[in-house]
Amino acid sequence: MNQASQATLARARDANLDWRELATRYRVLLVSAFLLAFPLVMPFTALAINILIYGLYALGFNLLFGYLGLLSFGHAALLGAGAYFCGIAIVHFGMPWFAAIAIGVLGGVITAAAIGALATRTRGIYFAMVTLALSQCVYYLFYQAVDWTGGENGLRGINVREIGIFGISFDFINPMTRYYVVAGFVILALIVLSRILASPFGAVIEAVRENEERARASGYNVTLVRLITFILSGAFCGLAGALYALQLSTVPIEIMHYETSGLAVMMCLLGGMGTFFGPFVGAAVFLMLENLVSLWTVHWQLIVGAVFMICVLFFPRGIWGTLTMRGKS
Amino acid sequence: MSRKPKQPGISRRGLIGAAGAGAVLAVSPFRINLARAQEAPIRIGFPVPLTGPYGTEAQDQVNCAQLAIAEFNAGGGLNGRKAELVVRDDKLNPGEGATRALELIENEKVNFIVGSLSASVQLAVNNVTKERGIIYNSISQSDAINEAADFSKFTFHEAMTPHLTAGAVGRYVFPKFGKKVAFLTADYAYGHEMVRGFKKAGEAFGIEPLEDIRHPLATTDFSTLLPRIQAMKPDVLIISNFGRDQQIALKQATDFGLKKSIQIVAPILLYTGRQAAGAQAFQGVIGGTSYYWGVGDQVASAKALNEAFGKLYANKYPSDYGAMGYAGVRTLLEASKAAGSVETDKVIAAMEALKYDYYKGPQYYRKCDHQSVQSVFIIQSKAQGQRNPSDVFEVISTEAPNEANLRTCDELGHKA
Repeated sequence: MNQASQATLARARDANLDWRELATRYRVLLVSAFLLAFPLVMPFTALAINILIYGLYALGFNLLFGYLGLLSFGHAALLGAGAYFCGIAIVHFGMPWFAAIAIGVLGGVITAAAIGALATRTRGIYFAMVTLALSQCVYYLFYQAVDWTGGENGLRGINVREIGIFGISFDFINPMTRYYVVAGFVILALIVLSRILASPFGAVIEAVRENEERARASGYNVTLVRLITFILSGAFCGLAGALYALQLSTVPIEIMHYETSGLAVMMCLLGGMGTFFGPFVGAAVFLMLENLVSLWTVHWQLIVGAVFMICVLFFPRGIWGTLTMRGKS
Repeated sequence: MSRKPKQPGISRRGLIGAAGAGAVLAVSPFRINLARAQEAPIRIGFPVPLTGPYGTEAQDQVNCAQLAIAEFNAGGGLNGRKAELVVRDDKLNPGEGATRALELIENEKVNFIVGSLSASVQLAVNNVTKERGIIYNSISQSDAINEAADFSKFTFHEAMTPHLTAGAVGRYVFPKFGKKVAFLTADYAYGHEMVRGFKKAGEAFGIEPLEDIRHPLATTDFSTLLPRIQAMKPDVLIISNFGRDQQIALKQATDFGLKKSIQIVAPILLYTGRQAAGAQAFQGVIGGTSYYWGVGDQVASAKALNEAFGKLYANKYPSDYGAMGYAGVRTLLEASKAAGSVETDKVIAAMEALKYDYYKGPQYYRKCDHQSVQSVFIIQSKAQGQRNPSDVFEVISTEAPNEANLRTCDELGHKA
């Protein structure tokens, strides 16, 4: 078959799909286009960058929660480990920024491997409790290592003024440069995630979620699938943490607090668990609400909480999940 | 039937669209940009924890800062150029503080930043501002911010340091109440820095430090720790914690009868905390403060601040942390006036040259670390039945401003 007829066939196939399936097929492209224009509609750039970072964090969480069906209450440890590893690489070892990001991802992976090795033996509420307990251990480990992490005062001095990309030097203090560098990494992560989900392994992940016994009977090592997914999730969260450290130039110990773990659950539920773009929608809605409402009133938590309850009650699939599912069933 | 020709002018759809766009513009931050184009006031960013456990103090900081702004504007500003305060909620979270500092610098284009009410938040904000060459005046206690690693020429510290506060209280207490000293300490940077300050000050008096008992933040039950303290038979018990922890610890220590044989001391006695917990728990406790309205009997500038604040806010008095918000903003505005501009380097030079007395007696910024050299007030909590509900402390001593009471520039790592 020649190329032309292949293209015709592809077009014919596309024509038969409705817009939702088309959107699913080109999801990375769509998200990338959206991210490029995103800062223009945001009240301030630092918020747009935070939404990207927390979106990526929630995305890593969603891989475990939405696709594998495991509720973890310890993801703050993975995000924090990424941030601290990246920060320590820059502050204590003077590493270049890209190496530090790689170290940050590694930090997420190592922590996820350690927590995952112990936690993936359990399931359900026990899994949630074990991850919570282990993440608290990680919290105190970093809290006590004052010489490395700054302890209570946080790790300061992650100062990257310029970054070189392919020999061209960019001013990293400039907010738009910072946004597009972070967006670049997020798009990269999205491509990787899209590939994982489309791969046979991605199908196995969902098979385990749908019916663990059947997956086991089909010859899959369920525990191993869980561990690998947990580690992959750690890599995404580690990357988010590393970007967090570069964006704010400090790593506060609060990043490892269990509230941060809860944040991932909330963003995921808000946006739509198990959807590709849902975590970003959740992060955007949550952070926008928090930032805009807190400008008006100190009782912002009341309003954010009410919106969250309304979403859970009336959009059980989350905001994005409801939008994409509308009229499908 | 033919369709009606399109009417010129405004269609309904167009009107709705325009109204929608207008509404979006009205609530969007672009509106601020449009308004700003006409004149350029001096903008001061003010991130403080309006939500969270220190919300009361933070609101008072905002009120006092607004007073400083109002006075500046009433006095004609900087050659007619007015000032305005851009308040943000840092939620007592360093990440949020850094984000807000970025917003204030990048989008709100503020000239200076003043604020914060926690050591870690101020260090996070300071790291952001020093990288971008924006002057930051911190108004909460920290030892680390003066050290060479965190300091930059853009960093100023209007608040006292734990070293200074603990030292001043120790120098008053140790000669009077005895040498055997026990500690009850909140297990985080604030508590540790205070204890370090007390021990350092105590060396000169030959104190005998007994055990340092640590408790986690937000402890509600001290009943297991208090008998241990009683058994040590100390002359002085120093309780280094903050906010609600302080209130509960003092209340339970009173109930246990510790006050009969032991003088209880807190490095900082909070005006708002004492008002919340009542007279009994705090009665007789000695502590330090950067400001208490009763200082107005001795210091003219304090009296002036009390009166101006009372006029603006229904006869209330400024609190300790609130008054620092006033001074933090006013020093920058006065320095801008002296420099005749808001150019960073000129304002820094003017700040370094400033000799000021705005609310608590004479003060100045030390050259090497931009720490405000200032007096410390030693106060004792009064018993019930005072002339008005704000009359809670008695100023029993004043330690005059003296660089010798701060850590030396060498100690902090600053090269001469």
